[in-house]
Amino acid sequence: MKYEPWKALTASDQTRRAYQEALVRADSEISSLLQIDTECGAEDCRFDADSSLAGVPFSVKDNIAVRGFQFSCGSNILKGLTAPYTAAAVQRLLDIGALPVAKTNMDEFGMGSATENSAFQMTRNPWDTGRVPGGSSGGSAASVAAGLVPFSLGSDTGGSVRQPAAFCGIYGLKPTYGRISRYGLAAYASSLETVGLLSGDIDLLQEVFAAVSGRDSGDQTSNSIAPLNRPEENTPVAAVLSGMEGVTPEIAQGCRQAAEAMRSLGWEVKEASLPSLKYAVSAYYTIAMAEASANLARYTGIRYGYRSSRAVSQEELVRKTRNEAFGREVKLRILLGTHVLRSGFQDQYYIKAQKIRTRIRGEFDQIFSQADMILMPVFPVQAFEAASGMTPLQQKIADRFTLTANMAGIPALAFPAGLQDGLPAGMQLLGPAGSDELLMHYARCLQEVLPKDPLPLRLDPREVLHG
Amino acid sequence: MADVFIGLEIHIQLLTRSKVFCSCPADFGREPNTNVCPVCLGYPGVLPVLNREALQQAYMTGLALHCTMAQRALFDRKNYFYPDMAKNYQISQFSHPLGVNGWIEFDTQGERRRIRIHDIHLEEDAGKMIHTAEGAQLDYNRAGCSLLEIVTEPDFSSGREAEEFLQAFRTMVRFLGVCSGNMEEGSLRCDANVSVNHPGKGLGTKVEIKNLNSSRFVRKALEYEIRRQSRLLRTGRKIVQETRLWDEKRGRSESMRTKEEAHDYRYFPEPDLPPFWLDERFVQEAEDRMTELPLQVFDRYLREYQLPEDTARYLAEERSRCRFFEQTMEYYHHAKTAGSWIKEEPAAVGGPESGRVTPEHFAGLLKLCDEKAVTVQQAKEVLRLMGETGDAPEAIIEQEQLQGGVAEDELKAIIELVISRHPDTVKQIHDGNVKAVGFLMGKVMQESRGAADPLQAKAYLLEAMGISEAD
Repeated sequence: MKYEPWKALTASDQTRRAYQEALVRADSEISSLLQIDTECGAEDCRFDADSSLAGVPFSVKDNIAVRGFQFSCGSNILKGLTAPYTAAAVQRLLDIGALPVAKTNMDEFGMGSATENSAFQMTRNPWDTGRVPGGSSGGSAASVAAGLVPFSLGSDTGGSVRQPAAFCGIYGLKPTYGRISRYGLAAYASSLETVGLLSGDIDLLQEVFAAVSGRDSGDQTSNSIAPLNRPEENTPVAAVLSGMEGVTPEIAQGCRQAAEAMRSLGWEVKEASLPSLKYAVSAYYTIAMAEASANLARYTGIRYGYRSSRAVSQEELVRKTRNEAFGREVKLRILLGTHVLRSGFQDQYYIKAQKIRTRIRGEFDQIFSQADMILMPVFPVQAFEAASGMTPLQQKIADRFTLTANMAGIPALAFPAGLQDGLPAGMQLLGPAGSDELLMHYARCLQEVLPKDPLPLRLDPREVLHG
Repeated sequence: MADVFIGLEIHIQLLTRSKVFCSCPADFGREPNTNVCPVCLGYPGVLPVLNREALQQAYMTGLALHCTMAQRALFDRKNYFYPDMAKNYQISQFSHPLGVNGWIEFDTQGERRRIRIHDIHLEEDAGKMIHTAEGAQLDYNRAGCSLLEIVTEPDFSSGREAEEFLQAFRTMVRFLGVCSGNMEEGSLRCDANVSVNHPGKGLGTKVEIKNLNSSRFVRKALEYEIRRQSRLLRTGRKIVQETRLWDEKRGRSESMRTKEEAHDYRYFPEPDLPPFWLDERFVQEAEDRMTELPLQVFDRYLREYQLPEDTARYLAEERSRCRFFEQTMEYYHHAKTAGSWIKEEPAAVGGPESGRVTPEHFAGLLKLCDEKAVTVQQAKEVLRLMGETGDAPEAIIEQEQLQGGVAEDELKAIIELVISRHPDTVKQIHDGNVKAVGFLMGKVMQESRGAADPLQAKAYLLEAMGISEAD
């Protein structure tokens, strides 16, 4: 059995203790995990379930609720909060015996592309600890790439699963909007974000997706749409995004290499363009920040989380708590989001952004009427250096390739496309709504012809028990 | 003189078992913060799930108000910070209310008036903040309960009219079974908009009045506000657009915030709730659940049963009374008698709390009364016992030996006894105080345990005192 070594780690109290210690050691240099607890989830976990995933451990981004675990969203404002309930996606995994063992570091409320906006710690890229792991699910990606867990749950609002997956050389799936319940995912931008999956193993990724997807009564935006199928005999048609200004030569090379791999499989490869791409970043951030300004309004220190001790009145309590505990990037986005929703300004910002969103959807529909998938880079650069690599504004502009899928609600899968200059250069496949399984199928085909580079593993499950 | 324009914003708590976006019970009077869950406490990661029954009741209310109903329910977020609102935004309906352009009629001062409804929209209630000596305390039991807001056009012109409307509206929502209508407990709440302007000049500057916790407060607060604005208008001063808070203890309102301080609610579509299609099945179900409304019942009772207006009005106030009355009419045919009995004996019949009297037994009693098998006084006692036991009237009459009528000599003996016990009263009567006869009559009826025929008893009484009835 494929996942036996992992299952052995979670098999008993004793092995879970050994795993716990191994996780602490293995994470010491990359700081991908905010909380390690191999015992906490065991009570809710159905180890005896009849599933190939029974006993397989995983990590969970700290903006997804797992009862009994911390639930900080990478923010001081939720420091000390223990989740009183479990997210739907996690519950489905517990029900088939998979075990959450750690909460992963992230940019505060998912706002960032380097996991440097975490209130708690900086996570390092396991390929090069001088570099960032990407973000905002950087802790999830690093924990998988370093071999601490075989898969992780993250969240993708504008690329937050795919970009760290690309930086860390693993697979990252942003599913079709609605295919995985958002119940239990702390909201940042509700209409854009999804729970996403990260793994170095495409088969495992697909198994996990099968387990967690499907309509959930706790999320009325979730659905059970039938997965798209493609006639076996037809040759897949891939559209490569043309006019990729601003990408590094390494990324351009990675993209060419992936297109070449497609041709070598006998697929038809052509070019396609997204004319509205140049408006996408502005429109995306307008919508995301607008929704964030409402979604983050609940954090006031009154009912849970951090509470300012300097307040003398109820109004002051809310103001001071938020001022003291939110980070700069979060404050910036709340302020801008509040601004774009002001009465009298909505036409200019929010409504215009929604029109651009509609247009982007239309452009994707147009492309998918003639192609099965779109190939494009995940990010214009590879993993950059910690602390100084990219300014917050540069990071936002660089989200342009990832956030279009969130705007359109379509699935996108980041896949390892070989190393350039010793670092992963991740590419992504985008498909029409419901093509999640197909994208994973295409990625499995590509895996056969693309170079296989071993991950920078820091934990070998076989050695934990016998070493 | 000035023109007065009043519009009402009425909030009703719908009678759903659970809250509007989570499965917490929506019952009241529990220990603070016991009817709560991560959803209504606004924990990170939770999502709303629309309560279909809340939407049904809202839809029924829209039908009763003759609104043009939406084909799909869409929700918006209304953003403002307040500690009793867990998410600091309220899920409401703004751009596409559930129902628009409705109307409703009600009777006021002998006249039937039609009030236009601007819109109705479904939303979630907030919790409660209680100010105590130790500071503010929060109770989220009410947070997330289903609330329907009904906004009227500014079609009222006096506080009294608004008060009477509210009473009629309350009766209607109770009739529909969508709200308990209890203003003191806050299950029906009302804010009012008032503008007073020079005659013929149309709407003036709008002032909103809040904190109106009974229909009487509504009238008093509106009358106060009309006087206040009229005075400003008369003396040429400016009426400020503002929100005022009614202070019932002091009988006046105070400014709460002006237009400049008003909230910008930054409405935008609620991304967590997809459009809910009000399909044929949904609409059919709501239509099937509709009942005749109080005003229609009132009109029909006048027409069909020729009931006096006050009796018809009384019956049409509660569905339980109508039901009891109409079921009684299946066994009995004097509508006026049945109606007036139900009106006079609310403890025994027609009320939701009334006893175990069935309409059939009740009709039987009325028949016995008509046949003079029992007197009215006896019948009332029988009815009381019927309520306690649930027995048929015949059984109770038998058991209590309450057969109507007293033998002539027995009655005469009672009268002799009463006269001998009250010589002073007899003297007063002889001195011309005819009213005192009533006192002696009461004694006679009491001695006969209500069994005497009052007319016969009175004739014998007067005869015994040597007074001719013509006197």
